[in-house]
Amino acid sequence: MPTCEHCLIAFPSHRAVTATFGGSDKVFCCHACLGVYEMIHTEHLEAFYRKRSKWAPGPVVRLDTDPALFAETVRTIGEDLMEVEVQVGGIRCASCVWLTEKVLEKTHGIREARVNYATHRARIRWVPSTLSLSDILRRIANVGYQPRPLNLTGENQFLEDERRRLLTRLGTALFFSMQLMLYSAALYAGYFYGMPSQFRTLFHLTALVLATPVFFYSGWPFLSGSWRGLKQGSFNMDVLITAGSGSAYLLSIWQLVRGREVYFDTCAMIITLVLLGRYIEFGAKKRSTEAISRLLSLVPGTATRLVAGTDDPSRERSETVPVESVRVGDVLDLRPGNRIPVDGCVTWGTSEVDESMLTGESRPVVKTVGNDVFAGTVNRFGAFRFRVTAVGRNTALSRIVSAVQEAQSRRAPIQKLADRITGYFVPLIVLIALFTFTGWWISGRPAPEALMAAISVMVIACPCALGLATPLAILVGTGRAADSGIILRGGDTVEEMARSAMVVFDKTGTLTTGRPKLVSATGLGMTCEEALRVAGSLEQNSEHPYGEALYQAAEGLDLLPVEDFVALPGQGVSGRVAGLPVMVGTEAYLRSQGVDMEPLEGPDAVLPENPAHSRVFLAMNGRLAGFFHLSDEVRPEALPMVARLKSMGLDTMMVTGDAETVARIIAQTLAISEVRAAVSPVGKAEVVRALEGSGKKVLMVGDGINDAPALTEASVGMAVGGANDIALESADAVMLREDLMLVPRVLELTRRTYRVIRQNLFWAFAYNMLAVPLAITGWLHPIMAAGAMALSSLTVVGNSLRLHRH
Amino acid sequence: MWSIVLLVFLSLCAGVAAWFLFLWATRSGQFEDMEGPKYRMLDEDEETGNKKED
Repeated sequence: MPTCEHCLIAFPSHRAVTATFGGSDKVFCCHACLGVYEMIHTEHLEAFYRKRSKWAPGPVVRLDTDPALFAETVRTIGEDLMEVEVQVGGIRCASCVWLTEKVLEKTHGIREARVNYATHRARIRWVPSTLSLSDILRRIANVGYQPRPLNLTGENQFLEDERRRLLTRLGTALFFSMQLMLYSAALYAGYFYGMPSQFRTLFHLTALVLATPVFFYSGWPFLSGSWRGLKQGSFNMDVLITAGSGSAYLLSIWQLVRGREVYFDTCAMIITLVLLGRYIEFGAKKRSTEAISRLLSLVPGTATRLVAGTDDPSRERSETVPVESVRVGDVLDLRPGNRIPVDGCVTWGTSEVDESMLTGESRPVVKTVGNDVFAGTVNRFGAFRFRVTAVGRNTALSRIVSAVQEAQSRRAPIQKLADRITGYFVPLIVLIALFTFTGWWISGRPAPEALMAAISVMVIACPCALGLATPLAILVGTGRAADSGIILRGGDTVEEMARSAMVVFDKTGTLTTGRPKLVSATGLGMTCEEALRVAGSLEQNSEHPYGEALYQAAEGLDLLPVEDFVALPGQGVSGRVAGLPVMVGTEAYLRSQGVDMEPLEGPDAVLPENPAHSRVFLAMNGRLAGFFHLSDEVRPEALPMVARLKSMGLDTMMVTGDAETVARIIAQTLAISEVRAAVSPVGKAEVVRALEGSGKKVLMVGDGINDAPALTEASVGMAVGGANDIALESADAVMLREDLMLVPRVLELTRRTYRVIRQNLFWAFAYNMLAVPLAITGWLHPIMAAGAMALSSLTVVGNSLRLHRH
Repeated sequence: MWSIVLLVFLSLCAGVAAWFLFLWATRSGQFEDMEGPKYRMLDEDEETGNKKED
C-alpha cells in the first residue's frame, strides 16, 4: 500500500491521487492532502516535511496499570457504588477531556465520569460488581491516555483543600454580611428619621445573630493567627483585624444591653473584605503554582525495563511498564530522543543528555558509564541503559518542583508591606486607647464608660479596606501587565520591580535575536554560491543555530543529497554530500581533522575582519573550500529601549559569555554603560550577586535557559519570549512576546502599581484616623464607622481601577 | 409588630437557605473546574439519536 506524502497514512492504491512537484511524482490519499501539500509548497514551507521526520509520533502505549497504586483515592460512596480520582496523563485540550469522558461514560458499569479541564483529574463513579478498577484503568489506557495515581503527580492537594476552605469562609461571610447590611441600612434610616424602640431592638438582635457566624466562623483564621502572633510578641495584620472586629463585636453587645447603637456591620465587613482580598491573592498564587506542577508532566508515563536474569545479550528481553511500577535497582533501557523517566546511574552506553530544564545549561552533557541521569531530561543521540536510583517524589525534578511550590506558598506578598505598617499601627492604637481610658478615668467617669470609649477607639481605627488595598492593586496591575504581554508571578515581584535600580541584560537571545544570519560567503577554489550550496545541503539536518542559518541562506539553491550525517556538538558537522566527504565547523575542528588552513593565512586571502561576526569553515575532500561569516543581529527595538530605561533613571549593564571585543561593539551601539564579557552562566549569577550586595536591586533580563542561575539570583528575573515552563521556573516575570520595549513598559506599570498600593494603604487608614478623635471624645457613632468603612473601601477600589487606564 | 418579626424571620430563613445551597455547591465541587464547562457546550449531544456517519 502506498503512503500519503502529506499525512503519512497508508491507503489502498486505487484511491491514490498523484501530482508532480519539483519534477518528481508525489502520491496522496485524497485531494485535501494534495491541497494542503500544494499550499505548503507555494508558501515555501517545505521545511515542515523535512523536519517532521524528527518528531515521528511514538506508538500508542497500552498498558495494565497496577490498581493497588490507586487504593488511596478509592472511596465507597454508596450501596454498590465506588468513586476514584485518577490523574489522566496525556490530556492536551478540551477534545481530550471530551474523549476520555465519553469513552468512560459509555462503558457498562460506569455511572459518571468527569474530567477536570484545569487539573486533568478524572473523578469516576462505578459499580464494582460489574466492573473492576483495573478494567477502568485499561479503558483509559486503550484510548492512549495514561491513568496515574494522584499522589505521584505532585498535584498539590493541600492547596486545593485550602482554596475550598477559604471559599467556604468567604461565601459565608458574604451571605451574612449582605443580610446584615439590609438591617444596618434600616437602622441608619431609623437613626435619622426615628424608629420605635422595639423595632430597633429587634433589628439589633437580628444583626447580632447575623454577625456571630461571620466573626467566629469566617474570622477564625484571624483569631487563631493573632493568637499565634501575640504568643510570638508580634503585632501582625491578624492582630489588627481581630482587635478591630472583636472590639466592635464586644462593644455592640454591650451597647445592645444598654439599648444604644450597635456596630455589628463594622465587625462583619472588616472580616469579609479582608477575606475577599485573601481570596483574590490566593487565586493568583494558585495559577502560578499550576504552571510549576505542569513541569512534572514532562516525565514520561512509561519506561522500558530489562527483564532480570539474562546475561546473554542476544537473549535479552525488555518490557514496557508504567513508570509508577519502576523500582529502585531496576535497569531501564533508553532510546535516543526520549525523556528519562526516573533518576539513575548509567551502566551501559554513551549519549548526550539535554539537562537544560534542570541546570539551565543549554549545551548537552555527555553521559557515560557511571554518570548520573535525571528524570525529565532528554536523551539526545545515543542509546544507553541505567540503574534506577530514585523514583516518584525522590527524583531531582520532583524535589525542585516541591521546593518552588513551598517557596511560593511561603511568601504572601500582601503581608509584607501591610505588615510593616500594622507593626507600627497596632501599638500606636493600643496606646491611644490606653490614653483615652486613663483620660476618662482621671476626669472622674465610671470605669465601664471609660472602657467603652477606649474600645470605640479600637473599633473606628481598624481599617476595613486594608485587606483589599494590596491584592486589588496587584490584581489590576498584573492583569494590565498580562494584557501588554508580561506575566508577573506575584505581588512581591511588583514591589521588587518597582524598586529596581539597575537592569542587567544577557546578550545572545536577549539583546540580539539569537538567530544568526549569514553575512557573507567566500568560496576557495569554487564560487561562493557553490560553497553555500554544499554547506547548506550538509546542514539540512542540523539543529545548531549556525547550521540552520546556513541552510536557510542556501534554501533557494538546489540542494544536494546527504549521507552519513554526524553532528559533533560545539565543533561541527560532517557527512557525504553528493558522495564527497564534507565538513563544516570551527577552525579548530577542521584543523583537528587534518585540514590545511594555509589558504586563509596567505597574503592574497583578504578577510573582512569584523570581530562581531562568527566564522564557520567548509572543507571538501579534506581541503579547505570556503568560509562563512555569520552575525547575530541586534533586535531593532534594543536601542530605543536602552534610551528609555536611561531616561527613567535606571543603570544598564550587559553580561555575556562572548568575547570582550564582540561584547564591546554591541554595547557601544546600544549605549549600554557597563559590560562584563566572557562570563560563564554561574559567573553571571556572581555578577548579579555582587551588584545586589552593593545595595542595588537588580532586574535581570535573560532568555531563561542558560541565564537561569542569574535570573534566580536577581531581585527580579525576567525571561524573554520563552513563555515555557522552564523559563517560568527560574524567572519572576516572563515576556510573552519577543519585544524588548516591554521592559520599560512593565517597569513603568509596576512603579505605578506600587504607588497605588501605597496610596491605597494611606487611604485605608486615613478616613478611620480622622474619626479617631471623635471616638476619643466619646462621640463615636455607627454612621461614622459605616462612613469610614464605605469611603475607604470605595477609595481603595476606585484608586486600584485607575491602573486600568493609559 | 408581629408582621415585622415574621418578615425578619422569613428573610433570615431565605438567607440561610441560600447559604446552605452555597455550602452544598462548595462541598460537591461545583467551583472546582471553572474552565471546563465553557467547552462542554461545544460537545456533541448524543441523545438526539441520529448520528451522522462520515
